[in-house]
Amino acid sequence: MKKISLISAIAFAAAFSAGQAFADDLNVVCSNEQDWCDLMVNAFEGETGIDVSMVRKSTGETLAQIRAEAGNPKIDVWWGGTGDPHLIAAAENLTQPSGADTSELLGWSINMAEISGGKTVGIHAGALGIAYNADVLAEKGLQPPVCWKDLTDPSYSGEIQVANPNSSGTAYTELATFVQLFGEDEAFRLLAEIGRNVNQYTKSGSAPSKAAARGETTISIGFMHDMVKLAKAGFPLKIVSPCEGTGYEVGGVSVISGARNVDAAKKWVQFVLSAKAQSRGPEVGTYNVPSNSNATVPPESPDLASIKLIDYDFATYGASETRARLLSRWDEQVKPVGR
Amino acid sequence: MSNSIPGSVRFDGVVKKFGAVTALKKLSLAIEPGQLVTLLGPSGCGKTTTLRLIAGLETASEGSIFIGGEDVTRLSATYRKVSMVFQSYALFPHMTVLENVAYGLTVKSVPKKEAQERAEEGLSLVGLSDFGGRIPSELSGGQQQRVAVARAIVLEPEVLLLDEPLSNLDAKLRRHVREEIRQIQQTLGLTAVYVTHDQEEAMAVSDRIIVMRNAEIAQEGSPHDLYERPNSSFIADFIGDANLIDCEVLSLNGSATRIEVVSKCIELPIQPGQTGAAKMVLRPHQIRLSRDKSQGEFEGNITYAAYLGNQIHYSLDGELGQLFAISDATLDPLSVGENVSINFDPQKLRLVAN
Amino acid sequence: MTRTTGLWLIVGMAGFCLLPWYAVDSGFWSFLWLNNLRAEENAPGAILLLLFDRMWLSPTLGALIVSAAANVMIANSVIRARTLVGTAAAGLLLTALQGLIIVRDGPVLLPGLLSSVAGTEGQTGFGAGAAVSVLALLFVLTTSISALGKGRGDAFVIGLIGLIVTLVGVFVFFPVAHILVRAFELSDGSYALSGFLPRFLASDIWGLGCLIGRGYCGPAVNSVFLAVMTGAGTTLLGLAFALIFTRTQFKAKPLLRILTVLPIITPPFVIGLALILLFGRTGVATEIFANLFGVEKTRWLYGFGGIYLAQLLSFTPIAFLVLIGVVEGVSPSMEEASQTLDADRWQTFRYVSLPLMRPGLANAFLLGFIESLADFGNPLVLGGNFNVLSTEIYFAIVGAVADPAKAAILAIALLTLTLGAFLIQRRWVGTGSYATVTGKADSGRHAALNRTVRFACYATALPWAAFTAIVYSMIVFGSFVKLWGYDHSFTLDHYLRAFAIDFSRGIRWSGVAWDSYFTTLTIASIAAPLTALVGLSTAYLLVRQKFAGKNIFEFSTMLSFAIPGTVIGVSYVMAFNFPPIELTGTSIILIIVFVFRNMPVGVRGGIAAMSQLDRSLDEASITLGANSFTTVRRVIAPLLGPALMAALTYSFVRAITSVSAVIFLVSAKHNMATSFIVGRVENGEFGLAIAYSAVLIVTMLTAILLLQLAIGKRRLRRADRVEQIA
Repeated sequence: MKKISLISAIAFAAAFSAGQAFADDLNVVCSNEQDWCDLMVNAFEGETGIDVSMVRKSTGETLAQIRAEAGNPKIDVWWGGTGDPHLIAAAENLTQPSGADTSELLGWSINMAEISGGKTVGIHAGALGIAYNADVLAEKGLQPPVCWKDLTDPSYSGEIQVANPNSSGTAYTELATFVQLFGEDEAFRLLAEIGRNVNQYTKSGSAPSKAAARGETTISIGFMHDMVKLAKAGFPLKIVSPCEGTGYEVGGVSVISGARNVDAAKKWVQFVLSAKAQSRGPEVGTYNVPSNSNATVPPESPDLASIKLIDYDFATYGASETRARLLSRWDEQVKPVGR
Repeated sequence: MSNSIPGSVRFDGVVKKFGAVTALKKLSLAIEPGQLVTLLGPSGCGKTTTLRLIAGLETASEGSIFIGGEDVTRLSATYRKVSMVFQSYALFPHMTVLENVAYGLTVKSVPKKEAQERAEEGLSLVGLSDFGGRIPSELSGGQQQRVAVARAIVLEPEVLLLDEPLSNLDAKLRRHVREEIRQIQQTLGLTAVYVTHDQEEAMAVSDRIIVMRNAEIAQEGSPHDLYERPNSSFIADFIGDANLIDCEVLSLNGSATRIEVVSKCIELPIQPGQTGAAKMVLRPHQIRLSRDKSQGEFEGNITYAAYLGNQIHYSLDGELGQLFAISDATLDPLSVGENVSINFDPQKLRLVAN
Repeated sequence: MTRTTGLWLIVGMAGFCLLPWYAVDSGFWSFLWLNNLRAEENAPGAILLLLFDRMWLSPTLGALIVSAAANVMIANSVIRARTLVGTAAAGLLLTALQGLIIVRDGPVLLPGLLSSVAGTEGQTGFGAGAAVSVLALLFVLTTSISALGKGRGDAFVIGLIGLIVTLVGVFVFFPVAHILVRAFELSDGSYALSGFLPRFLASDIWGLGCLIGRGYCGPAVNSVFLAVMTGAGTTLLGLAFALIFTRTQFKAKPLLRILTVLPIITPPFVIGLALILLFGRTGVATEIFANLFGVEKTRWLYGFGGIYLAQLLSFTPIAFLVLIGVVEGVSPSMEEASQTLDADRWQTFRYVSLPLMRPGLANAFLLGFIESLADFGNPLVLGGNFNVLSTEIYFAIVGAVADPAKAAILAIALLTLTLGAFLIQRRWVGTGSYATVTGKADSGRHAALNRTVRFACYATALPWAAFTAIVYSMIVFGSFVKLWGYDHSFTLDHYLRAFAIDFSRGIRWSGVAWDSYFTTLTIASIAAPLTALVGLSTAYLLVRQKFAGKNIFEFSTMLSFAIPGTVIGVSYVMAFNFPPIELTGTSIILIIVFVFRNMPVGVRGGIAAMSQLDRSLDEASITLGANSFTTVRRVIAPLLGPALMAALTYSFVRAITSVSAVIFLVSAKHNMATSFIVGRVENGEFGLAIAYSAVLIVTMLTAILLLQLAIGKRRLRRADRVEQIA
């Protein structure tokens, strides 16, 4: 016990000493892939001499944290992750305009800044697609899907995996894409029919493609850049760009309202939008399409030009009323037919 | 070793309640320094609660407690100058015998060397000098018990408390150890409070006995007083064996008391009391049994006989009801089924209220 | 005058007059604040009061001064104690109130009352000065309460109760209240009771659709079913292991020991991933079965079966840790007594040993039940369409449609279940006595198990141990191959990426994992002894002391454990991001969340172990002149060896492996290993994640072995032997 009291005493002292709180570093939350986060932090520190403290958190977690911290934020800038949560944060005034120069950026990126009043700017885009595990598909003697509508084929029964739009932004993008492609009623009819073939609605948007890569499911729906990464890693994953056309997401970067290091945060935004920074994605296996028109696009990236992209209406489908309506309809008409 | 100052103990209207249960009803008592006083009574009578109140392991709900003249009612057990020997001994299983005995000294920051010397002294007092290095589980029950005593007395307490210290020992060892305890108490001149439910043990060790019943004191006095002058049938029955026989007190005049038992009149020496129904206390060894019917006034039939070597225990059935008698006439035992006459000396009889 | 009170008052004064009242940015132990004590942010309370017009700090000083005066001037001890209780309580209350009312942006309540210049500017979080002043007042309060004769007049015990009640209040109730109140929030942002009940009782929480063959069951129903099964399963397995350890002469005990410890030291998701690779549709075992027996490859793993398997793997060791102490503690003489009464080994086991283990069994079950309810990693990976409360809560907070109200309602449902389990457990254990270490030394031998029980134990535990071994070899294997499941060529890349050290220019920790690895170890090593201390102290109070409100106290200590980590994490951000207690972004908040989240394990283990120690041991120590503190230190703690060991081990390990609470609390400076690993798993970098996990596992194993050496084994009997079976 003597030992324990001693250790506890030391622990107490240590606990207090560990309380060193907030230095004047730039606090970045990164919702991109870890390596991409690390690379950009190093590059930024090298270029500006500003010390960066960076932590990687998923989009949903970051939004929850920003909400909880509202009024006294510990985060300065939020970089990466799907655009919807950035737009929500903008709508809730959790973020502030960064005043970044958008002149070199592509249309969908500027669009994002316009919708949010400059509070968030698009940094990269990724298209929705279908992936299948070539090995399993061959073993089961199935035909590869080519279009969204192919997924309704009863021969795929129990072979398709897709995320639940209630928890996953990816799946919501898919839902919104269907509505924009086919019209609302037809979209729900199709989704319900596909639902008969779905073996699981996962919580996370990237889970179905990972399951498909390992053969736990045969077909998945998700973002193509995730699929490219898995295929590059060596999994027998084949990627399909649906014939009807497809929707896409735009990743965002936002400066938090009340940030302690606003100037550094704005520099960060400007930095990650620069062509030089955005061209470095392939170094760490990041294959989404950069938003700076002068950035070099990695050859492995799903080429947005060759994909039939729909004119995704972020303003309408990002609005919370539309969202609530579509989701409750999904709960009523699509979810119950799953197994 | 003997430089402890024995302290007195005084209870002033002490009440102890556990929730709705009253464990002690307004208890007042006084224990003189240097005496060994026993709290005796059936289980649940409040004797252990009284002991724990002295120790400070319970706090009085009302009233005051004094040790050595100092009010300790609110003082925590740690700071009271009392030591306790527990029924289970409560030896610390992870310490050696010597560490156990020295424990009380070391927590009072007595220098290590001195503590060890005094602990060894204590162990030698209970005859366990060679056992200091063992752990308790390597000792027999009697040895463990003596370690517990040594541990309590090395602190030179004002009051030594013993909670049924012998109940885990076998009968022979019990007599041996109680004599030892008594001897140590007298040698060191300790004030000791001893809790037991065994009246023989109480008689054997005590200067004074406090008999408790139903959360209050039933009677207190020397062993002799209690045995010879019980104030109730409960005491008469509890202190030593007694046959309690219903009787009617007919008159109490200057020198004699007349009573009627099974329609026979008996004259006794004068006793406190009043006329009316009462009980006659007839000790087993006061009963004389005889085959000669003319010897006694009452008759009975032997239902059970136990030969114990130096005496014989008889159970009888007869005019006086069920009786228990002890006879020294071991050479001429009576046998079961015999009808005998029952005789006793009225001069030694006591009466107690019904 | 009371000496203890006087000392605390001096400490309080010193804190108020010398230490910086607010938290200093540079950190207290840097002592940079000493350079400029008169700067507003570094100033002690006294200077703030004098120079900066911070009137609202005067109650603290006032309470200290009035208490000191009362302590010196009032002669009657009862009146003095009563006065001190009053002044100290008033001081505490007013200090807390000013902290809550005047936050960063000025007063939040009654702004008119505190309109001085400084008041409208607000203030930052409490620092060392405030903490010391408040603690001093707290101990003045408890010492005075004990002087009134409460708690047998024991200042240590009352002080401990006061301290733990305060800590639990501040670090459990205060944050949790922040989120639970959201359950009453209406869609327009106002609060009302009316909306709560219909939402709480809604069928999407409690629905029984799966029982009648239509649709899904509600997550609450699924959770209960899973938790009961897991609680029972882990208790049974844990008992089998504990019996093998204490009552048999099994040869490979050390090996078994490691296998029983492995699962708790495994970071989340890893067991799930290993199970997928074994039993998933393309898993190794599935392939083998499919080839051998022509069994169809299915996705059975995704759903109840998979979660149950993973939870059994993960939580059996907890049951084992609780039960081993209890099974060891059952007094051999009671078993011998039974055998001399002509009971055979089975009867002895059934009617003597087993009932004596009842508190242990109940505690093991309760822990398994609660762990299962709060488990988040396994359902997330293996859940399939089997929804449970913990994941539903997580996605109600971080999902695409964030709904804190729904999360709060689900959290209340989860709490209700925990409370229910807790009450049932209390009833079942009842008030019987289970003391078997009585201070009357005991030299017997543990009864060996009879043949049937022994074989039942072997048959339960050994296949399980083998299974665990297989799962873990899969994990080790996974960390050394290029692409787990597809490309099985040997590589060290994963380890090099995570833990490379560059020696070219001195030592540079160039691996990507080093930062979070060091942070994690530091924080876990700080949190573990504190957790054990708080947990076992609480157990001591619960088992050994009588005080009003004990049942509520006991339940409240379970609260933080029962609430899912996600809810705790968010509530900590809500509560501790603002003055008076501003901790977000520091490592203190991580330490605190671990201490209060994991203390229930120390409490449960401590209760189980302590109810086996006869009360007369404490009483003997106390009547021998030791105070309660010395008694705890020299008598109780050494006899709690296994429980202490369990509490230390478990809290250390949990601090390293827990993920859900941590995700919101990690910051750039203080990132934790699990949060790092989860990021890698999300990113599909299984190799790196598993290599990191393997390193963590080895680290924790080493730490546990060292702990075991340091604490050792309690020596109660001549030898802990098991009778030989002829």
